[in-house]
Amino acid sequence: MAAFIVRMGPVLMLWLAVCVSGSWAVDRGNFKTCDQSTFCKRQRALKPGQSPYRALLETLELTNTKLTLQLINDNNKVRLLLELYRLQGNMTRVKINELKPLKPRFEVPDVLINDPPTEPLSLLSQDENGMVLSLGADSQRLIVSAKPFRLDIMEGREVLLSLNSRGLLAFEHLRIQDGMWEETFKSHTDSKPNGPTSISLDFSLPGVEHVYGIPEHADTLKLKTTDGGEPYRLYNLDVFQYELFNPMALYGAIPVMLSHSPQRTMGLFWLNAAETWVDISSNTTVFGQMLDYVQGSSETPQTDVRWISESGIIDVFIMLGPTPTDVFAQYASLTGTQAFPPLAALAYHQCRWNYNDQEDVAAVDQGFDQHDIPYDFIWLDIEHADGKRYFTWDPHKFPQPKEMLQGLEDKRRKMVAIVDPHIKVDNSYKIHSEIRSRGFYIKNKDGGDYEGWCWPGNSGYPDFTNPEMRAWWASMFAYDQYEGSRENLYTWNDMNEPSVFNGPEVTMHKDAVHGNWEHRDLHNIYGLYVQMATAEGLIQRSGGVERPFVLTRAFFAGSQRYGAVWTGDNAAEWDHLKITIPMCLSLGLVGVSFCGADVGGFFKSPSPELLVRWYQTGAYQPFFRAHAHLDTPRREPWLFGPENTALIREAVRQRYALLPYWYQLFYHAHRTGQPVMRALWVEYPQDTATFSMDDQFLLGRDLLVHPVTEEGARGVTAYLPGNGEVWFDVHTFQKHNGGQNLYIPVTMSSIPVFQRGGSIIPRKVRVRRSSSCMEHDPYTLYVALSPKRFAQGELYIDDGHTFSYEKQKEFIYRRLAFANNTLSSRSVGSVWIQTFLMLCLSVDGKESQLEFDFDASMSVLTLRKPGVNAGVDWTVVLQ
Amino acid sequence: MHCPILIAVVIWSSCVDSQKIRGISLSYKRFYRERKSFLCIDGSKLIPFDQVNDDYCDCADGSDEPGTAACPDGRFYCTNLGYRPHYIPSSRVNDAICDCCDASDEYNSHTACQNTCRNLGQRERAEVKSQMRALDQGLRLKQQLIEEGVLTWRDKQAQLRDLQRVLDDLQTQLDDLRKEDARRKKEVDALRELEIGALETEENSHRSHIMNESPVSIFYELDSNRDGRLSAKEVRAKLTDIQDGERVLSEDEAVALLGGGHHVDLSRFEETLWNSIRIGHNVTIRGRVPGRLVKGEPVLKAAVSAAEKAAAELKKVEDAYETVYMEIRDLREKLATDYGPEREFLFLYNQCFQLKVHEYFYELCPFNQVTQTSASGAEVSLGKWGSWAGSPQHRYSQMKYENGEPCWQGPTRNTVVTLTCGTETALRSVKEPGKCQYVAEFQTPVACRPALRQQGVHSEL
Repeated sequence: MAAFIVRMGPVLMLWLAVCVSGSWAVDRGNFKTCDQSTFCKRQRALKPGQSPYRALLETLELTNTKLTLQLINDNNKVRLLLELYRLQGNMTRVKINELKPLKPRFEVPDVLINDPPTEPLSLLSQDENGMVLSLGADSQRLIVSAKPFRLDIMEGREVLLSLNSRGLLAFEHLRIQDGMWEETFKSHTDSKPNGPTSISLDFSLPGVEHVYGIPEHADTLKLKTTDGGEPYRLYNLDVFQYELFNPMALYGAIPVMLSHSPQRTMGLFWLNAAETWVDISSNTTVFGQMLDYVQGSSETPQTDVRWISESGIIDVFIMLGPTPTDVFAQYASLTGTQAFPPLAALAYHQCRWNYNDQEDVAAVDQGFDQHDIPYDFIWLDIEHADGKRYFTWDPHKFPQPKEMLQGLEDKRRKMVAIVDPHIKVDNSYKIHSEIRSRGFYIKNKDGGDYEGWCWPGNSGYPDFTNPEMRAWWASMFAYDQYEGSRENLYTWNDMNEPSVFNGPEVTMHKDAVHGNWEHRDLHNIYGLYVQMATAEGLIQRSGGVERPFVLTRAFFAGSQRYGAVWTGDNAAEWDHLKITIPMCLSLGLVGVSFCGADVGGFFKSPSPELLVRWYQTGAYQPFFRAHAHLDTPRREPWLFGPENTALIREAVRQRYALLPYWYQLFYHAHRTGQPVMRALWVEYPQDTATFSMDDQFLLGRDLLVHPVTEEGARGVTAYLPGNGEVWFDVHTFQKHNGGQNLYIPVTMSSIPVFQRGGSIIPRKVRVRRSSSCMEHDPYTLYVALSPKRFAQGELYIDDGHTFSYEKQKEFIYRRLAFANNTLSSRSVGSVWIQTFLMLCLSVDGKESQLEFDFDASMSVLTLRKPGVNAGVDWTVVLQ
Repeated sequence: MHCPILIAVVIWSSCVDSQKIRGISLSYKRFYRERKSFLCIDGSKLIPFDQVNDDYCDCADGSDEPGTAACPDGRFYCTNLGYRPHYIPSSRVNDAICDCCDASDEYNSHTACQNTCRNLGQRERAEVKSQMRALDQGLRLKQQLIEEGVLTWRDKQAQLRDLQRVLDDLQTQLDDLRKEDARRKKEVDALRELEIGALETEENSHRSHIMNESPVSIFYELDSNRDGRLSAKEVRAKLTDIQDGERVLSEDEAVALLGGGHHVDLSRFEETLWNSIRIGHNVTIRGRVPGRLVKGEPVLKAAVSAAEKAAAELKKVEDAYETVYMEIRDLREKLATDYGPEREFLFLYNQCFQLKVHEYFYELCPFNQVTQTSASGAEVSLGKWGSWAGSPQHRYSQMKYENGEPCWQGPTRNTVVTLTCGTETALRSVKEPGKCQYVAEFQTPVACRPALRQQGVHSEL
């Protein structure tokens, strides 16, 4: 939906008019640079060199689960406590806190799905300079150097990663006030009652030239070095008309970075929810001269990374891979996997700020049927509520919400209505008065309820970090609480950075108070809690039966467990279309698979060509929703002439036909943490040509998509990876060899998509009005043979919307394979379920002949109607 | 054997009992006579007849599966006995949504559809009947309005002719008055010339006489260029030093006499120079013959006043001419507007129609403008009359009002008014589907077309 615009009185309007007429870009002056964020400036002023920190080896304690060791800062004699854990699954956790802080420092709760299980560490050797510990398997060792303090993780003779190798560990300890701590940005003053509390640590990654992740930034997939420029910033912000290709903070923050080289993939998870800056530099160093273990020295490319956070502690998880798959599994074991969405949520979503009233909703719904374009969800933005009082309906525009929802249900479609976390201060508004009387609002520094400006005017912000508040919020989604709601109404959380129009950097004052903690400590996780509580509400209202679907704009590590995210308020520009790929790929690398961008662009008005290309791209990205700003002309798919309508219809239909594959990919992501939309290097980790590629992507392993994102394109050059592999154009079935750049001439109808030889992809080629309508339709398997005449794939089926797959194990999960001229389906430990028993068994236990068609020109064999049951074992033999 | 590279296999997760002649209209039945084989209607393929409606798409044109959802872009015929038959996309067959009122599209879904054709048919027939009644009444009203329109048109034409006549009269008067005005002005000038000539021949002993003269006549005498004010130049030309009659006054002296300015009007003249002349200590009028003046003054005065009267008369008639001329122009413009083939929309001319929608008050003044007034009283233009904007067949079914107030970040507001047939003339709805793009429904008998009757009759079948 929306950013920071109008409706705030004439003063703001004027300011905006100026800002907008100048250029269509972010007003950078509204947001801090590192220099304007005093802790970042202080920390960045520290130069690499001798670290003042020394490990006090005599304080070493080694238990079954962890190692503890004190560090001392030789300059000020402040002691830190280092805790080191070897975690199951090839991970190492390093925690550093003050040994005796004046008061506790914030440690981020609710992100890890459990206390990560540990493995024992053992001490191999020790002398006055340091010690060597065994990290269990794979001859991995941890070397602790005492002076200056430094950690190196080695495998064999190879250094995988070093901590504090550049001596940039810096821990601002809590202290008695020794001067003015206040800090001012523009007209906002931060009282900083705890003074300077920032932390910083550096990591060196020898042999690494490519690092990825730390979303959300509108930047390339491969992260750039930040020498001489701004660091990448992680601070959830509502950025009006964000700019592309820069490291400015956006709506969400996931402090996870992946490093990759042909030899190894690793990950760093910096568990800190305060404002964070990340510096990246690359150099070639003579490595190993400090280590006795490394004989000789060799020139190695190296990437150095430095993390700086405003408060909290150092708590970093080092995921040692070694493969991309391993890193995804390791991160998933810490923070959980992608929520398994209802099938319908993977279909097409039609949104606009705003569908004006019930009639408008009915007319748009009708328009889709008239033009025979499928859709599953229609969305309502802030104007649907009564004076932006969420959980209510505008009595004039939406007088009968239940009837409206029933009307959609009759077409087997659904709706999403927005519920934002800013609550109108209005005593006659139940939600507000309850939150206030229960004391659930975030407090300002003086102890009163924090108030700020947002869409409804003066607003309070519920303290979602409080579990009682979250439980109460969840209960508000009960059908008898949320008036006008029905089973087919789902929820969208916007503005949950949180956005505060009159706050510093359009967000909350850092000295606002959440119970014992400052907003400063936990800013980046606020949005996660909002989505968490909302998703819980949707689960509870159905008695725990139905899977929720909640979209969020702000997010943090772990947000993947609660639903979908989108890339916020983009613009109808070709570059914004292009950036959707790296933005969603980056999110996929750090657990968030359910990602999408506003199709068509939120601000401004797309040309028909851009709109069509955006639909074609969006149809192959996980979250597929068209959305538009209030001030833009209408752009429902049929408003651009019959030709463009047909092009959009075709793109949406391609999406629907592939829903079985999408669903299976999401099931897989949910089970294993593997991303749905993947950077090419994830599947081709040795192929350096793929390492910086972000104009094309894979869906799972088997579909390669190179959308057309250039205006007036006559052709695209796609890279087909894999020497010795083959790829089939999914539209023409033409075969192409892997390991080459392929020029593909394109027309307006082209969406270059290729299926990997060796794969079997299930589709439902009967595209109907909505995904629910396709529930009982037959599957068509597309078997693309490898050069060795082999193929395999999977098929996952369940009821599409409940937790029964998990609780009652009601699902079908089949492994499909083609080998030796035989296509077969075998169970992957699935449970045969009642829901599908009604299906007829036409080849039950019998052998039968099948008719077929063979197109010799393209070598395509079509087996006519084998009519086998998806749930049982079967084989088809070609003779 | 050739190597097949790509294989497509269809797995059924449901089965369909086929019924051969489902989803076909009567006129297509001949293609589906039970035989051994079936030829796709486009002639592309011959298939065994038992593959018709067997829930697998064989024909590229989808003709083998008229009764199932197997073919993309196929269509299914709803017979809808008692109501209207129609085609639906075959993707709507057995999707658990009742599309055909005879329930024939959901023969194998788990949704129990009711046959609602009879009710629908009855309701539609009743509706059509009342619509027809309204249409008939509307057409009668339309006829009246057309006739009224003819009268109005005639009135307007007559009015135009009258106005034209008035304008002609005014033109004649104007001509006369202009001549009169010119004559009067000449007369005054001639009298002045005469006077000046006489003055030049007589002696100057004038002070006491000047005392008796009016400041107005002296003013006009000195105002040699007749611009209604005296300049220093004019003063220097006509006045002379009382001691030295030959001496020309300096610029500074003249300015001082005018009270410090380079120009004076009559009233200022009376406060400044007039006093100097009257008292006669410093300056006097060059070559003044007091005796003549006294004699000639009343004649000139009368001439001046007559010229002034003529000028005023002229001005009055000129104004009247202007007014009538504008009226004629407006009327011509309005008469040039397209009021429909029979000028049936003429009666809307000069009328306005209001509608309140929640907090907003809308006003449509056909062929003029559309406005919106908020509860706070702020009025916003939603567009000024642009043009008829209906489809080429029905040009008069939509009006477009353009160039209203501009929007923030956007274009100017505009409104498309759709005209619908009804027995009353009223604004029925105003909506804003896209920011600043308004659509209104305006109901009026003149939007009724006899063709609508045909459509109504068709839908009755």
